[in-house]
Amino acid sequence: MFQVLKNFYHKLGSYPWFYKISGKVIPFVGVLSISLIVISSIWGLFFSPTDAVQGDVYRIIYFHVPAVSVSQVIYYSMSVAAAVFLIWRMKMAGVYIKSLAPIGAAFTFIGLLSGAIWGQPTWGTWWVWDARLTSTLVLFLFYLAIIGMQSTFASRKSADTAVSIITLVGVVNLPIVKKSVDWWNTLHQPASITISGESSISNEMLIPLLLSILGVYLFVFFTGLLSMRAEISTREQNKEWFKKLSSNN
Amino acid sequence: MIYLLKIFQKEFLIYSRKSSSFISPVVFFLISISLYPIGISNDPDILKDLAPGLIWITILLSTLISFQNIFSEDYEDGSIEVLLASGQNISLIVLIKIFVNWIFSCLPIIILSVFSIFLLYLPQEGLRPLIISLLIGTPTICLFGALAGALSLGKNSITGPALMLPLSLPVLILGTQAINYSLNGINFFSNILFLIAILIFLLPIILFASVGALKLHFN
Repeated sequence: MFQVLKNFYHKLGSYPWFYKISGKVIPFVGVLSISLIVISSIWGLFFSPTDAVQGDVYRIIYFHVPAVSVSQVIYYSMSVAAAVFLIWRMKMAGVYIKSLAPIGAAFTFIGLLSGAIWGQPTWGTWWVWDARLTSTLVLFLFYLAIIGMQSTFASRKSADTAVSIITLVGVVNLPIVKKSVDWWNTLHQPASITISGESSISNEMLIPLLLSILGVYLFVFFTGLLSMRAEISTREQNKEWFKKLSSNN
Repeated sequence: MIYLLKIFQKEFLIYSRKSSSFISPVVFFLISISLYPIGISNDPDILKDLAPGLIWITILLSTLISFQNIFSEDYEDGSIEVLLASGQNISLIVLIKIFVNWIFSCLPIIILSVFSIFLLYLPQEGLRPLIISLLIGTPTICLFGALAGALSLGKNSITGPALMLPLSLPVLILGTQAINYSLNGINFFSNILFLIAILIFLLPIILFASVGALKLHFN
């Protein structure tokens, strides 16, 4: 088992192998993710019951919760990739961080935007300086800093290393930011779904929500693979294997 | 041990002979502190409430200018390259550089922030938490600044310093909260302890990261 994982990990570091495998996986993931998002949106918007307190406004949860949760997961996965890059110098980890950062920023922005649209009718304001909103905003700023840092380096290797260092320092700082804004101010409702223990949301609403979360995660996987392939093809465009591959097609 | 002392002396001399290194943050601080009453209101009640946050944010911004100085000259004359090649413990040298930078860029402002009692009508009981929280909070900010400076060496972009601002959010929150607590008669000691904890926790991590960022420019 361990040997299989180790082999997989080593293969993952190879551009040609990744390019070949991802090309096979992408169509399935794309179709699955988009159909999941469509199904869960229709289910959530038209068929799930109306909320007793918030009315129909709550239905934006099917966009808000997946976007916010995936934006955090992307950042944590990027920090794992940053550690991998700094320790084992695996080039693929640099590609991963570079391609996933804009996607993460986009989903954080969607989360903030949908939160603002949700906040207007329920709290009566587009924006409050509340703990969760502030830490999501800080997450967005971290993403922007990573994307901005990317472009200031001429050499690709130093850009990847610099970005990995920032990502790691950011992930160390993120819990501190979270805790400190928690003491500062809190208005946001607590998380509705927890992995351990009872969820505070009824099953009829929970199932489409879980479907939409799954759909968005797969969608990130899909777009991540696409942009990693694009990044690899710009980095390796003069290499022998890439020329051979593109002349075959 | 002796060479560390020598490096400290050298850094101290360089900073003390280059007056711009400590005058520009001070000037920036004094000007903006005196602009707030003009721009916002000269009503003591309003200024009193805003004072803790205004002082902290102004200090954050005025130290921003000085972070480019920590490594940029050594980078341009090549002494960082020599240090990296010498096999000495660079993280200690970096620590000394940050410490000297703190003495010259933050300490004068901390002393000058006493004037905020008159200029921003900060109540007197707020002075003690202000000074203590600044003394403990600003070294953490200098650490972030050093990392940002090391990453953006040789580039005149705003990305490096701007990167530091979201990182220093916890220090800002805890620092201003300590002052507000003491103004409302709440014990602010826990906030100071948290500031110390953040400093101790981040010190080795940021030093390690800054050394990595320095090495980045020479491969």
